[in-house]
Amino acid sequence: MIDVILFLLIVIPLIVGILSFLLPKSARGICALVVTVVNFCMAVFLLKKECIVTLPWAGFGIDFSFRLYQFSGFIMLAVSFFSVLITLYSLNFLKDKDSSRQFYTYLLITLSFANGAVLANNLVVLLFFWEGLLLPLYGLIVIGGGKAFKTATKAFMIVGISDLCMMAGVALTGYLAKTLVIQDITLPLDAPGSLAFILLGIGAIAKAGAIPFHTWIPDAAEDAPLPFMAFFPAAIEKLLGIYFLARITLDLFQLNAHAGLSIILMTVGAITIIVAVMMALIQKDYKKLLSYHAISQVGYMILGIGTCLPAGIIGGIFHMLNHAMYKCGLFLTAGAVEKGTGTTDLERLGGLRSKMPVTFACYVIVAASISGVPPFNGFFSKELIYDAALERGAIFVLVAILGSFFTAVSFLKLGHAAFLGKARQEYQAVKEAHLSMLIPMIILAFVCVIFGVFNHIPINNFIQPILGENGEGHHFTGMPTNLTLVMISLLVLLGAFIHHFTAVKIMGGILKAVDHIHYAPGLSLLYQWAEKKYFDPYEIGIRLINKMSNLFWWLDRSVDWVYESLVVRVACGCSTAIRRIHAGYYVIYVVWSLLGAFLVIILFVLN
Amino acid sequence: MEYLILLAVLVPILGAFILPLIGWYAPKIRNLTALALVTISCGASALLVKPVLAGHIPTMTFPFPLGFDLILTADALGIFMAMVSSFIGMIIVIYSFGYIRHEANQNEYYLMVVLFLGSMMGIVYSQNLIYIYLFWEIAAICCWRLIGFYREREIILKADKAFLITVFGALAMLVGFIMLYNDFGTFDLRAMHGRAAPNVAVLLIMFGIFSKSATLPFHTWLPDAGVAPSPVTALLHAAVLVKIGVFAFARIFVGSLAIDPRWDHILPVVIALSALVAGGAALVETNIKRIIAYSTVSQIAFIFLGLMMKNPLAIAGGLLFILMHGLAKGGLFLCAGIVEHNTHTKDIRQMGGLIKTMPITAVSFACCALSVMGIPPFGGFFSKYMVIAGTLQTGNFMIAAVFLFGAVLTILYLFRMFNLVFLGEIKNPAVREGSYLMVCCVAVLAILSLAGGIFIRYPNQIIQATIQQLMGVR
Repeated sequence: MIDVILFLLIVIPLIVGILSFLLPKSARGICALVVTVVNFCMAVFLLKKECIVTLPWAGFGIDFSFRLYQFSGFIMLAVSFFSVLITLYSLNFLKDKDSSRQFYTYLLITLSFANGAVLANNLVVLLFFWEGLLLPLYGLIVIGGGKAFKTATKAFMIVGISDLCMMAGVALTGYLAKTLVIQDITLPLDAPGSLAFILLGIGAIAKAGAIPFHTWIPDAAEDAPLPFMAFFPAAIEKLLGIYFLARITLDLFQLNAHAGLSIILMTVGAITIIVAVMMALIQKDYKKLLSYHAISQVGYMILGIGTCLPAGIIGGIFHMLNHAMYKCGLFLTAGAVEKGTGTTDLERLGGLRSKMPVTFACYVIVAASISGVPPFNGFFSKELIYDAALERGAIFVLVAILGSFFTAVSFLKLGHAAFLGKARQEYQAVKEAHLSMLIPMIILAFVCVIFGVFNHIPINNFIQPILGENGEGHHFTGMPTNLTLVMISLLVLLGAFIHHFTAVKIMGGILKAVDHIHYAPGLSLLYQWAEKKYFDPYEIGIRLINKMSNLFWWLDRSVDWVYESLVVRVACGCSTAIRRIHAGYYVIYVVWSLLGAFLVIILFVLN
Repeated sequence: MEYLILLAVLVPILGAFILPLIGWYAPKIRNLTALALVTISCGASALLVKPVLAGHIPTMTFPFPLGFDLILTADALGIFMAMVSSFIGMIIVIYSFGYIRHEANQNEYYLMVVLFLGSMMGIVYSQNLIYIYLFWEIAAICCWRLIGFYREREIILKADKAFLITVFGALAMLVGFIMLYNDFGTFDLRAMHGRAAPNVAVLLIMFGIFSKSATLPFHTWLPDAGVAPSPVTALLHAAVLVKIGVFAFARIFVGSLAIDPRWDHILPVVIALSALVAGGAALVETNIKRIIAYSTVSQIAFIFLGLMMKNPLAIAGGLLFILMHGLAKGGLFLCAGIVEHNTHTKDIRQMGGLIKTMPITAVSFACCALSVMGIPPFGGFFSKYMVIAGTLQTGNFMIAAVFLFGAVLTILYLFRMFNLVFLGEIKNPAVREGSYLMVCCVAVLAILSLAGGIFIRYPNQIIQATIQQLMGVR
């Protein structure tokens, strides 16, 4: 029974997704909604159940194998939860758009592949679904229209290259462990083991969108349809990426706090936090600002898991869940604003509070969550990560707290610019978003509160069991234990608040509140270069590859020149020379004959 | 059961010569007869699958003096290759009905195509080196006429170039075969099993194989051969010509002769260079058919890599690659044919936004391209994974890294092409979708590329049997 449901989880969305092309436009959304709800119900049913299914597939240890257990069931539930919300939201959001034709198809394919990737119990099966997610990723960005296909290609390339690394990692892991069954793999972190870990880790953190695999996300924020942003970079990719990172650190490789790789992971996390939040700070577009935060928050998760301490891992996974909630919620508010006003440019927005009170209320809750305001969920997961990071090194906590400060500053700026301030004349007619768009936002905001106030519900039920024996005897629920850290983070929030309002007053404009950072000496140049994409590894890589391929092209042409010119010329030259010799003058032939006779005589003499 | 082999080989070879006769009276019947000949050949090979999977190897021997015995055996490797070639050949013949419809010299076209496929059957079932050479040269002649199908001078020159390079390679190979005969006293590959070949002979035979399979530095005839009609290029790239060299490598060096271990270090470097140079050239090129041709050169290197690693997983990957690449590359060329037929240009810079006007072709092209890139759920994923994983298992990390970079180049140039041709602003507004038959053919290849990934279990059974026969392991 359970094994059949596992396959249905993959097959139903896939088949319906493809067949929904045949349906009339209006029915597609409803059809997708039904499928996602059914999927959600199945995920709820499967919760806390265990099952392993194995079917023969490609041979060589590559079996089609699924394992349902506590962790995969939980991630699957989260994935289907977000699919339901996004589908519901898109019903109205995409109603008048051409792109809705393909949107639901890709969404359902994503759901199907994500389920497959989470359930996979064989590394190649995991890779199959994991890399398969490239297709809906590309498709969902392309339907943004216009030049979106360039961003889509960029996204495909970046994630695709990291998937190639992961493929090498899978091959290496399978070779070292002599099996591809994830459940049976436990590898030591020696030299080849570390290489395998790094390669798999690249796949995981690139999916999650950490630096340096992040640069497509801000571009996609401009080009792709908004529900994509709320669904993919905000929710699904974080869930999958961090899920896999947790799996490789906990199960496959047993990373411990003494390993150098743990420091590397924490450093990647810390750099991601600070660089991305600095970029987010200066953005003047609602969606783009959010997209940089989507990158920055991954840093906390990687930092948490990288600490290799129970508190950090629990904090990291809890933060992943929380982040999916509030970032998804934030993007949905951006969508509501876009739908109402037709723009997400902060320069042109303002005073929407009275026009869209529900959206504003949701914004306040989710923005408070991401900034780490107690008692919302983000506060608790961040405190857990701080706790663990403090044990590993004060510098990491410092960076993380600095990141929180800038996060709070930028969300104060965003909320202030979009919802407060003077109401603009042109937005007099703006109305509150449609109910089907409000419901997902309200649910997300509500869950943010629940997971904050009653944080033992997710932690005890879903997250702590992941650690197994390592997690026993610890308590991560309720109020954080380290009160100094709590005080510091509260002071930082207060500081951000004061900073924002003084800066607005001094600089004389809401969006100018961060200008003293933007145009600070030294930083302004860096910002300029970053805006020109000088630091974008993708752009640099493409330039390098283009130069290299010109070299290869030249090599190819020179090989061809050998056949086209050299061989021909040599052949012509030889035949011309021979023709000259045979010109018909009998003197020449006499000379040839005499020379020949001479040679014959010499040969005879020598013999 | 043995007669099925004869049927598979002789029906297309002999039947091909009847086609022009029928063609003078009834072109339509000629077309259908051509299809029937290829289908019979494919069917005969398919019927052999069951006994071979059961462990039986049908063999026929016709003794001749001087080691010229005609030995036909249907082992798993031969059947696998025969089915891939004749099946893709079948689809290409159907596609030709639409594509060649308005051209002159159709009688010769069908004669050559069917003879070409027949000679391929001859190569895959032969166990005697001399007959492999014989069919090899028949294929070269057919390919010469087919590349020069349009009779302009420039095109004839390209056909001559292809013919000369491959024939010089084949002559070198023949010398190699004769050296083997001098050493072993036989042309029978089964009798040579496991014996060490002299290095010079290996070198000479590799000349032949690399020139036929368009590997650096003998590859430049293949992009030039793009002047042929699209179904012919599809045939060259996907079904027959370049696969001959790869197959001969598997037959001679994987399945029979033992070679000096030093070759294991030299040959992978050559093909790695080939993969990189062709991948780079594909990124610069702007002619749609030349890009796909360079892509073939680069992918052939992946197949060679798989076959060169002495590792069951890698060899299985190489063989699977032949199938998946055949389906996908065939599809790409046939799609390119539709595009080129309807836009009257081959320059990708002059195309754009064609997904609006020819959606099915565009989607099929995308599917085939994704399969070539090795993106799941398409079949190319497994072949690429197996080749890379097998290479890593033999400890060749550098080579594997170079090929991973080659895979990155593959993704890049295919996306560049897809984006320029099918996305972006519409530059050819008056273009229509290809004819029903042609679009069906590309859609079938696209669907098969997808099915090849999801139902990998079925092709894998034949490949497992092949590996078992080649290496004696499972």
